[in-house]
Amino acid sequence: MAAAAGINKQGALATMDTCARHGRGAHGSTVKVLECGVCEDVFSLQGDKVPRLLLCGHTVCHDCLTRLPLHGRAVRCPFDRQVTELGDSGVWGLKKNFALLELLERLQNGASNQSGIAEDALKSIGECVIRCDEDESHTASMYCTVCATHLCAECSQLTHSTRTLAKHRRVPLADKPHEKTLCPQHQVHAIEFVCLEEPCTTGPLMCCVCKEYGKHQGHKHSLLESEANQIRASILDMAHCIRSFTEEVSDYSRKLVGIVQQIEGGEQMVEDGIGMAHTEHVPGTAESARSCVRAYFADLHETLCRQEEMALSVVDAHVRERLIWLRQQQEDMTILLSQVSTACLHCEKTLQQDDCRVVLAKQEINCLLETLQKQQHQFTEIADHIQLDAGIPVTFTKDNRVHIGPKMEIRVVTLGLDGAGKTTILFKLKQDEFMQPIPTIGFNVETVEYKNLKFTIWDVGGKHKLRPLWKHYYLNTQAVVFVIDSCHRDRLMEAHSELAKLLTEKELRDALLLIFANKQDVPGVVSVEEMTELLSLHKLCCGRSWHIQGCDARSGIGLHEGLDWLSRQLVAAGVLDVA
Amino acid sequence: RGLKFVARKLTGRCELQRICYNNKHGARRTLKIGRPTHCLHLLRSALSVHPDKVEKSIDDIMALKKINLDTNPQLGISLQASLLQVVGYRSLVGEVEKLRREPYDCENAHHETLLMQLWKELRPDTPLTGRISKQWCEIGFQGSDPKTDFRGMGLLGLHNLLYFAEHDKANALQVLHDSLQPKHNEMSPSEWEQKSLDKAIGFSFAIVGINITDLAYSLLVSGALKTHLYNVAPELPSLLHFQQTFCYLMQEFHRFWTEEDPGDIMEFNRIRSKFHHRILKQLKHPDTALCPHFSASDLHLVNL
Repeated sequence: MAAAAGINKQGALATMDTCARHGRGAHGSTVKVLECGVCEDVFSLQGDKVPRLLLCGHTVCHDCLTRLPLHGRAVRCPFDRQVTELGDSGVWGLKKNFALLELLERLQNGASNQSGIAEDALKSIGECVIRCDEDESHTASMYCTVCATHLCAECSQLTHSTRTLAKHRRVPLADKPHEKTLCPQHQVHAIEFVCLEEPCTTGPLMCCVCKEYGKHQGHKHSLLESEANQIRASILDMAHCIRSFTEEVSDYSRKLVGIVQQIEGGEQMVEDGIGMAHTEHVPGTAESARSCVRAYFADLHETLCRQEEMALSVVDAHVRERLIWLRQQQEDMTILLSQVSTACLHCEKTLQQDDCRVVLAKQEINCLLETLQKQQHQFTEIADHIQLDAGIPVTFTKDNRVHIGPKMEIRVVTLGLDGAGKTTILFKLKQDEFMQPIPTIGFNVETVEYKNLKFTIWDVGGKHKLRPLWKHYYLNTQAVVFVIDSCHRDRLMEAHSELAKLLTEKELRDALLLIFANKQDVPGVVSVEEMTELLSLHKLCCGRSWHIQGCDARSGIGLHEGLDWLSRQLVAAGVLDVA
Repeated sequence: RGLKFVARKLTGRCELQRICYNNKHGARRTLKIGRPTHCLHLLRSALSVHPDKVEKSIDDIMALKKINLDTNPQLGISLQASLLQVVGYRSLVGEVEKLRREPYDCENAHHETLLMQLWKELRPDTPLTGRISKQWCEIGFQGSDPKTDFRGMGLLGLHNLLYFAEHDKANALQVLHDSLQPKHNEMSPSEWEQKSLDKAIGFSFAIVGINITDLAYSLLVSGALKTHLYNVAPELPSLLHFQQTFCYLMQEFHRFWTEEDPGDIMEFNRIRSKFHHRILKQLKHPDTALCPHFSASDLHLVNL
């Protein structure tokens, strides 16, 4: 409507006024015809009371819908209990009852027409058809400036045919001069000026009398016409602003609609290759996000199931093996028992025989005794060896593998440049003694027990030629210990490139990485922080579990902290404390 | 003690005489004398005396045991030789340990000359491009600076390598040559080129040398080398003898390695420990001397 006001330059003011009054009228007298069946409030075109359609065909206002109890993702119609599924946006996703809305709008317009009849009349005079003052059935096309009457061409000819009247200046209707409004205080004078003083803003209009002698005497003033033109211009500006603003708003709301649609998804007309149009379901972002979550958890679930199965099979195998062994032992014991009792029987039999026979049987008895002793010896040996313990201690690794037995075995490879101290660390851990280091040719392998873990550590020589052979030791390795000599600043880059090469290895993708910054006891070495910085470890080891530990293989400081870290990473939380 | 008394009465000789006369000279005799079970206090103290004072302590023993030097001229000489061997062995251990503990020092001009000399001996035709150079890898060091490889064995490793290269040049060059050759000789060079990246050839001369030095050192410290040294050195065993032993061990190891024909260098430790056991077994026998493969001139050196 504001746009319409801009088109008609002359009637702009009047129209704006009408619009405002029209809006007020519409607002004040809402048609009280269509009411919500639940709250009995009248439906409105928008807001809380907008009518929405349920699946069963009943219409309920938005406000009441929001108050209906949810059954999962659905509501029940308050009239016939039919279920209506709700989309992602809940009640907002239900379609408005547009038929009802249209009806409502029409009714409202009709009502405002009735109530605003006076304005309508004014409007028709102001801008629409102007009737001829002589004959109501004619349409005016001219204006006589002297008689101040609207005339059609025919009546103008008729009325102004006399000689005196023919001199009246008649102009086309479009050029009709403005009617001067008369001053309410001085009825004979037209309003010609506008007061510019601050206190007179409520009634700035004045005639020449007001200006010279009346209440606006001595006030600053300007001409009515120029002031009005100024205001008109500013209104035009405003209208322009408003127009662009509404455009922005509608654009934005269009976008909102689009986004809602994108989120919710829905049917879309798609033309395929041969030009046949068919609807296609386009999944919304909500749907895809949901399916993403579902896929992730399904995957997780599957992995867990598989891991559980594997763990159970490990336990099963263990139990089976153990039972078989125990049964075997049981059988052995039964055989032993029977053997012993036969011997006993034999002895008793001999006892009852006469002297000669007893003497003769001496050799035999001795032999029997001997075997018995042998068996006894064997038995005690076996009994010493086996701890009869029904317990099956179970621990879990971080990757959900089960481990049976008091010690968990972990395979570790120590790598690094030559002279970094790999072998020294290994033997320090193994025997707690400092070995005279000599270059390792080939590899050393030792098992080191620590807490409830059993590390099998492979120490591979760091010689340049041996480095291509490192990869033979990667297989099934849970952790890599990379040893760096902190004294040799100039070799750090070489270590860095080797480490970077290691990290790209496929077999080591899941392996833990423990970096030992060795020889920290020497004064002036590269500190752990500095090394992290120099090797840009945070960047290099991004996305894997790693740790850098300063240590000194000579005294053993820091080595066990490193192993602690490894065990924390490998064993599922809380299990380590069992030992 | 009672047994000894009876024995003395029967043979008319004291225990020392019995040992010296009944055993051939060499390891058998010296090992018995060196055993610290002798009740003779004086002898025990003589075992820990300085080499210079050995003669005097022999006299003391003779006087105490009332053995006439004129009637038993052989005894004095035998006893002296054996005592010298025992004492010399101990000082040799000290000497070797001292060398081992001396780390290689770049600042020390003497060390540097030794290292350069080693290069010249092994690669007389190629000049070294620099003190730190990739060329060192050619003679089997791990990196471009040999210094880092001497760590545990210190100067002892360098001395041994140099001795081997200087005094047993033919063998040293042979070992070096073989270490640079493809393991499978029947393979054509081009074939080798293709596979060489994966299979590190034979072994690396220098660091194997340092490893064998470690082996020899542990044999010496554990006392296993006594048999060999007592048999080889007539009197004071010296560093020279130890270095000779090293040369022998290098040759033997090289032979052993070729016999074992390992898949790649990664089996080094397994073969090394096997070799170690074999040598130990050999040394258990008191007549063993670890030098049957030396050329005549080198044997002559030993006996000097």
